[in-house]
Amino acid sequence: MAEALVKHAFTGAGHPPAKATFDLMARPTAKTGLLSWLTTVDHKKIGMLYGGFAILFFLIGGLEALMIRTQLMVPNNRFISAQLYNELFTMHGTTMIFLAVMPLNAAFFNLLIPLQIGARDVAFPRLNAFSLWTWVVGAILLNVGWLSHFFPSWNFGGAPDIGWFGYAPLTSKAFSPDISTDLWVLGLQVLGLSSIVASLNFIVTIINLRAPGLTMMRLPVFTWMALVTSFLLILALPAIAIALVEVMMDRNFGTNFFEVSGGGQPILWQHLFWVFGHPEVYILILPPMGYVSEILPTFARKPLFGYPIVVFSGVAIGFIGFGVWSHHMFTTGMGTVATAAFSIATMAIAVPTGVKIFNWIGTLWGGQITTRVPMMFALGFIWMFMLGGFSGVMHAAAPADAQQQDSYFVIAHFHYVLIGGATFALLAAIHFWFPKFFGRMVPEVWGKVSFWLIFVGFNCTFFPMHFLGLNGMPRRTWTYDSNMGWNEGNMFATWGAYLLGVGIFTYFAVLVWSLFKGKVCGNDPWDARTLEWSIPSPPPEHNFAAIPTVHARDAWWYEKTHKDEIAAEKAEHIKAEEAHGGIHMPDQSWYPLFSAFGLLVGAYNFAQLHHPVVMFGNQVLASHLPLAITGGVIMASALYLWALEGPAGYHLHIAADGKVTESRGGH
Amino acid sequence: MTSPRSAPRTFSRLTTALFAGLSLIFLSGCKLTEIFNLSGPQSTMVSAGPVAKAQWDLFMVTVWVTTFIFIVVGAVLAYAQFKFRAKTEADEHATPPPQGHGNPFVEIGLIAGSVLLLVIIAIPTLRGIWYTHDVPEDEKANAMEVTATGYQWWFKFEYPSEMVPLPTGGEAPLVTGNELVVPAGVPVRVQLRTVDVIHSFWIPKLAGKVDMMPNRGNFLWFKADKPGYFYGQCAEYCGESHAIMRFRVIALSAPEYARWLENQKQAARTVTAESLAAAAATPTAKFASLKFEAGSALAASPGFDANPLAAWQDMQKPEPGENAQLIATGRKLFADKTCISCHAVRGHEGIGITGPDLTRVGARTTIAAGVLENTPERMHAWIKDPNHYKPGNKMFNGGYVDVDTGTAKFQLTDPEIDALVAYLHSLK
Repeated sequence: MAEALVKHAFTGAGHPPAKATFDLMARPTAKTGLLSWLTTVDHKKIGMLYGGFAILFFLIGGLEALMIRTQLMVPNNRFISAQLYNELFTMHGTTMIFLAVMPLNAAFFNLLIPLQIGARDVAFPRLNAFSLWTWVVGAILLNVGWLSHFFPSWNFGGAPDIGWFGYAPLTSKAFSPDISTDLWVLGLQVLGLSSIVASLNFIVTIINLRAPGLTMMRLPVFTWMALVTSFLLILALPAIAIALVEVMMDRNFGTNFFEVSGGGQPILWQHLFWVFGHPEVYILILPPMGYVSEILPTFARKPLFGYPIVVFSGVAIGFIGFGVWSHHMFTTGMGTVATAAFSIATMAIAVPTGVKIFNWIGTLWGGQITTRVPMMFALGFIWMFMLGGFSGVMHAAAPADAQQQDSYFVIAHFHYVLIGGATFALLAAIHFWFPKFFGRMVPEVWGKVSFWLIFVGFNCTFFPMHFLGLNGMPRRTWTYDSNMGWNEGNMFATWGAYLLGVGIFTYFAVLVWSLFKGKVCGNDPWDARTLEWSIPSPPPEHNFAAIPTVHARDAWWYEKTHKDEIAAEKAEHIKAEEAHGGIHMPDQSWYPLFSAFGLLVGAYNFAQLHHPVVMFGNQVLASHLPLAITGGVIMASALYLWALEGPAGYHLHIAADGKVTESRGGH
Repeated sequence: MTSPRSAPRTFSRLTTALFAGLSLIFLSGCKLTEIFNLSGPQSTMVSAGPVAKAQWDLFMVTVWVTTFIFIVVGAVLAYAQFKFRAKTEADEHATPPPQGHGNPFVEIGLIAGSVLLLVIIAIPTLRGIWYTHDVPEDEKANAMEVTATGYQWWFKFEYPSEMVPLPTGGEAPLVTGNELVVPAGVPVRVQLRTVDVIHSFWIPKLAGKVDMMPNRGNFLWFKADKPGYFYGQCAEYCGESHAIMRFRVIALSAPEYARWLENQKQAARTVTAESLAAAAATPTAKFASLKFEAGSALAASPGFDANPLAAWQDMQKPEPGENAQLIATGRKLFADKTCISCHAVRGHEGIGITGPDLTRVGARTTIAAGVLENTPERMHAWIKDPNHYKPGNKMFNGGYVDVDTGTAKFQLTDPEIDALVAYLHSLK
């Protein structure tokens, strides 16, 4: 019996065909409609959901930024209150990092990794869905506090207002009594869970599911950067997970990790936070370096210059990235030796970063550069990222940093890295791969208009901030006085921000238009170089009719010049796969969604733990504990049923004329 | 997709229109050169002491090195972008260029070059770290020590070497709030403490910031080259009113500092009809009579900004038209309305220590932690509605109003506030 169950669970053998009647174990099969999205295990659908949610939060974070800039437009402004301002800058940072750039990168990991390595999906498709839905839960927990501004009786105390960095002891019960901080702690914790699960999945996928012949040193650079990023995530996230647990225990169970009166050390939080927080910077920027390393060769029509050095410098950045965290803490009184060590290490990390820029320029050298929209964003990335890198080197000089730390100079620096860098590269990537996943082109003219609006708006917003910072304007300030010499810079930056907002709006409005009206395109509209361009746009659910054999870097470029050789290999692969029963595809599942839902119920009610449950004005329960436990039970049950439902799945058969048929049952 | 040839033309027309429109918006909105203004009262460039100067000089080293890199790398990038672009549609579909994979010698050369340039920054960085960390050995004997303590949202300053006698007997270090007075030309070592969350002590013209961390004995040092009036501000997010947690540093010549210290050590000034008659001939302050303009409620007045040190010196003098009876009423209200339980007025009734020491509040140029110029009108507005000027402050939340129930603990009428202001402004 037990053996049969194990066999059933791990190999799918003996699994009964899907029944028409309701069955807890039956796996949903809908291919279209809401159900297909909620239960999907297809990496492309999951990628699009990540992308769609991320863009939504990117726009929300942008609106928060515009409210911040409006408040700072003139001195002593009263457009919004100090409290709301603090919530806005906290959530702007939290949203842009965890709910916009990271999930946009996750979207591309999902969309591209299997296609670039010639795989049919990620290694663990249901786990992939679990990562997605867990991420959604984290996003809800972080943002649910906004509702209390619209429904004052909902007792959240507003959105989190402790800064995205949540420095103790401001996060302690004494200074942040309401539950917005508890929701922030749990939200980040849940997002961390999502990222760790996803990273393990991608690492296994990249290591194990590469097509024959695709050695590590033939891997597309984007996939390489995704691999490095995934390792950074699983190594960095435990640090903040521990720190968050400690804050949670301090707030709920009377421990003294950071409680000053109990002998706690607030500096401990900063070390734990930045041991995560600095690798996080590279988690945000390495995938964009990957996009750019794919886009530049395509539009220069020659391979990436110095591929091994680009890869190794990416890995080197990943390593050194764990040894520079205290440069965020130069003003905390670390003493001379520690400050000097972190100062030098920070300068050292500029070298592999600079190497990448040299290699991108080397890629352009001697090429045939066509400046399509993705290329414009990619070139914009190099210029802007270079400027952000320079102000980064300035921060590495610790005594100079004592003046710049927590001033607008820092804001200028990291927005050059995260908008001029990461966001420009993401906008390039969205434009570049849009035709692949939607089968339609984005119009060039409107793409260029949005590029210039964004480019000019971005520089008008953030370039003056260098000067505001050097002129002594501290960050995270709700207002400023009119005699400080900051009036013009702030006015200019706010107009720039509006322009940037118009540019971003144009960019996405054009994308939406293109979804429906864009010119239909073929496999390979850009004359690109990697495997995802060898298959139809949009890709079929099984990705590759035949898994290709890879003979060189830039496998698709090689295929274009060795058509007969590859076609013969592919025909053989199809035959071999058919002999094994065809292309095995996984079935969909409810349980990733259900288990994430249990997590939502549990985490939300745990944040509310010490408050009574009130419904329609009546107290129903004295505490949220029973509801929190209920959430845990839902999650545990869903995970248990997940384990039992078995892999099931079905087979696809490719006929000689390319027609796809489906068969179920047997194995 | 639009034809690749027509796109650039349409696009160039659009960008021309765009840039024209933009320049109009920006030029009408503000003076463009002011965007690059580095002469504000918190400028890190206009250094007024050796620490800030060392920090700025190092910054300029980084600026020159990175500018050099930018010019070289930027020129190569711009050249490559221009030189190797596909000029015609035929170019775009021509035979692909040679598929070269890189050149290890170029790469290694560039890496070595970058390392060399970073060493140019690293050496002065290391020197600066040790220099800015603590008072240099040869100046230690001459240095004075003060303790700055951060509170949500104001600063307390203590002079551990200047003991003052207490009315109750014994003695304690001299205490002031929000305006730190130091002698010019003397290294000042500031012990940094906090009673609640993390704050950061920053006087840009004198020294970069160091955080006030709970359970940590941080410190910094600075020296003002010449007498002057300097702006400082908390630089670490510390809760609701972080933006308006400001302070001032006033550096005085040695004799003036000695006079100031002498006066500080006295008990609070008590104004009576007899004392006013006796001192009728002494000069009085002029800034205290500046009108309170509702429209610019928070901004300092132009007369103040023109010469803040003169304004500070003027504030040390008694004010014109002091009314001994009104001051006495104010002093009584100060006790009756429970102000004394948080504020100390050494020699009078005030004994509290949770709020700023007000023994010489009338002689300060600002109130509410550097936020409002200390005119009678602004002090009136502040006392009337402190939560408007500093949201979340403990004078209102807990002082005026019971935080748990939200009910007012007492009421203040306008005439009562006038009396309180008269009393507080008499404390010189």
